[in-house]
Parts: sequence; structure tokens; C-alpha cells
Amino acid sequence: MSFCLDTYLQQSDNYEIHASKAGFKDCAMIIRFKADDLVYIKPGDEVLGVRVIGIPPIPIGFDHEKGTVFLPYTKPCHGTSVVELPIDEEEVEKIRKLDTGNKK
Amino acid sequence: MKALVLLGCPETPSQTPLAVYVFNKLTKLGYDVTIAANPAAAKLVKISDPEGYYNLNLVDLERTLGDISEGDFDLLVGFVHKDAAASFFVTFEQILQCKSLALVFSRDADEVAEFVNMIEESGSNAVITAVRAFHNPSPIKVKFDKAIKEFE
Repeated sequence: MSFCLDTYLQQSDNYEIHASKAGFKDCAMIIRFKADDLVYIKPGDEVLGVRVIGIPPIPIGFDHEKGTVFLPYTKPCHGTSVVELPIDEEEVEKIRKLDTGNKK
Repeated sequence: MKALVLLGCPETPSQTPLAVYVFNKLTKLGYDVTIAANPAAAKLVKISDPEGYYNLNLVDLERTLGDISEGDFDLLVGFVHKDAAASFFVTFEQILQCKSLALVFSRDADEVAEFVNMIEESGSNAVITAVRAFHNPSPIKVKFDKAIKEFE
């Protein structure tokens, strides 16, 4: 069965929230600040089993030393959060393939 | 022709009557209309039509986001009154690649400008209509009636 972020966040505590109930732009800035490697994806691209919501270009960050990914996570009533969670190399490569290269 | 109406967080009182109004208007224009909303927003709309007079077609927002593909709808209408609603609208528009109309409103004029900027900066092709409003649905209704003429 493939990974599903929604299920993971409900059933695991192995993740960190760096911002919550924030605006998308603030969350994008936090990801750019915290990650040591970034890719930029389009709204609606699928990462870890969910379509990522946001304003393009959407940054997805990696901390390769910790083996984690930073991504924005948006809910209608709760705004956007930055979630950091473990990720394996196979998923990192899947995300790299989505890179638009557009940082503006 | 199929239209998708996106509802945001149900905190704003004017969203629910306008959802029914927009559903009715688009239906009369010949669209097969679907309203996508989170469970609380959907409940508010559903209870507003106890006899099923409008035959409202309500679906779950996040499930719909996971299911849709380009071309599934001909028109997207979004209620944008929060930062998250702007993000959802832009995301649905990018996936569907269809004609779209953003109804931007807030009680705070700075927020109205901010949400408009978010949509414009995304490279969206949406028609954006914006007004300062919160409790009173009339200003948004007037803006919608004017803007929807572009799609008739």
C-alpha cells in the first residue's frame, strides 16, 4: 500500500509542526529557511499520497542529514502548516521528478 | 456543462446563502452544479434546503481534490475569504484548467487585497471579483451577478 500523509499524521507522532494556522506565504518562507535542499512543485502535484495545496511555486524542502521532508499542509479552517516528517530516498526521488525549477 | 462551486471555511455568515444562490443561478444558466465543501460548510448548506427544493449536489472538498482531473468541469467558482481558500482555489484551478471565477471577500479591506494578490501572483486566468463584506451577502451577490455575465 502506498504512503498516505493524512493517515500518517493521524496515526503517528513521528513528525514536527514548524508553523500552524499560518498563511501560505509564511509557510513557504519557513520551508525555504529550514531546508538544506529544495524543489518547487505545482499546486495539485501529489506528494506522499496527497495533492499539495498552495500558490506556485510551492517549495518542498529536505534535510538530508535527518532524512526528513518539509511540506506545506493546508486545511480550509486551519490555514497552512509546515510539517516535517521522515522520508525515504524513493519518495525523495519521486518528488524531485516534480521539480518545475521555477523559484519565482 | 459542469460547474464546481468551492466553499471555504464556514465562519463567514454570508457564504451559506450565497452558496445556494450561486447553485441556483448556475443551474438556471444550464450548468450541472456540484458544491465542494468541508463537512461543516456542507451541513450549513444542506440544512438550508430542508425539503430538497434545490436538489443541492454536495461533495466533500478534500475527497474531490484527490479525485479531479483536467477537464472534469467547465467552470470553477470559488468563495475566497481566507488565505487557505485562496490556496484551495488556485490549486483546483491549476488542476481543472477551466474557466474560473473567484469571489473574494472579507470584513477587512487589506485581506481582500491580499487574497486578490495571491490569486493574481499565481498566474491564474480567473476572473476575480472582490468586495469588502462579511455578514451581509448583498455586496457579494451584486458582484457575482455582474461577473457571471462574462460566462453567459
